[in-house]
Amino acid sequence: MRWLAFAWWFVPALALAHDGQGDIQGGLLAGLAHPILGVDHVIAMVAVGMWGAQLGAPAIWLLPVTFPLVMAMGGVLGAMGVPVPGIEIGIALSAVALGAMVALALRPPLWAAALLVAVFAVFHGHAHGAELPESANAIAYSAGFVIATGLLHAFGILLGVANRWRVGARLLRAGGGLIALGGVYFLVGHLT
Amino acid sequence: MADFYAGLLHPLTAPEHLLAFIALGVLLGRHRASAEAGLIAFMAALVAGGALALWLKHVPGLDLFNVLSILGLGALIAADLPLNASVCVALALLFGLSHGFANGVAAVPPIRALPYLGGLAIAGLFVGGYGWVSVDYLLQRNLGWLRIAVRVAGSWLAAIGILVLAGSWKQLFG
Repeated sequence: MRWLAFAWWFVPALALAHDGQGDIQGGLLAGLAHPILGVDHVIAMVAVGMWGAQLGAPAIWLLPVTFPLVMAMGGVLGAMGVPVPGIEIGIALSAVALGAMVALALRPPLWAAALLVAVFAVFHGHAHGAELPESANAIAYSAGFVIATGLLHAFGILLGVANRWRVGARLLRAGGGLIALGGVYFLVGHLT
Repeated sequence: MADFYAGLLHPLTAPEHLLAFIALGVLLGRHRASAEAGLIAFMAALVAGGALALWLKHVPGLDLFNVLSILGLGALIAADLPLNASVCVALALLFGLSHGFANGVAAVPPIRALPYLGGLAIAGLFVGGYGWVSVDYLLQRNLGWLRIAVRVAGSWLAAIGILVLAGSWKQLFG
């Protein structure tokens, strides 16, 4: 019952009801939607969460804590208009690579996993950040896409809980395989 | 009475203030020894900062500083560094002053200052206090993943701060 007290954290969502007050709602919604509208983003972000869950501690918490910060760095590059070649290909590759990591249940050393995820975080962040200057309210937009990305990771970690059971672990790996295949689909789409 | 609401709503409807208030509350909740003193200091500093704005009118670079406050507080939460109670109170005073000032700038006539500043202080109490109490409660549950979740929230706040800096780069540095 006491947990209902946490419902107050959702009060700011009332701001979304106030259409036409302009930029805060628009910015927040645009930011929230941006990662979610790109399926290539979604599957890669979920894969990060799944892989973190597979790798266990400390990756399972290190990745969600550091990812938003590295992604923000990429976002800075995108917002400042620094061109990074092949962003879309990088994002598709991230889905392929991260999905493969989950599918094969690969366990590289922590620094390698972190490096891989960091490189992809820069690509994803760049894509979001590039849209930042055009949005009406930069801080609301930033809040939106940081939160949406974080929630996608959380979803992936939640799926990763299945890793505790043998059947769950297999399903998780199968999910990783599907994500990798999705990444291949996007990759082919960008290359042809 | 309307002036009170103006003061109350001004920070609540501005993400650049709301996020900082939330961040401070979360930090105080994490470092609970400092929380009561920190919250009182925050409220006092908000009023002081707001009053200062009525006199000084403008401080260059204040908006940038307030964005940095979100970044800094978020980073402190994410890094989970052990902080002295006096450090937390000092941060509450510092950012209370800076955000209070930024909010006080809006208290132009016909808005009367006193009820406005009162509303501002109550906004700090509500948001900071709520952040403190929720985080304190969650951390008392002693569940490992909840402690991580609080750090993740700090990371989000810091990330948002970094991005806002990037977004305002051109305005700030030409």
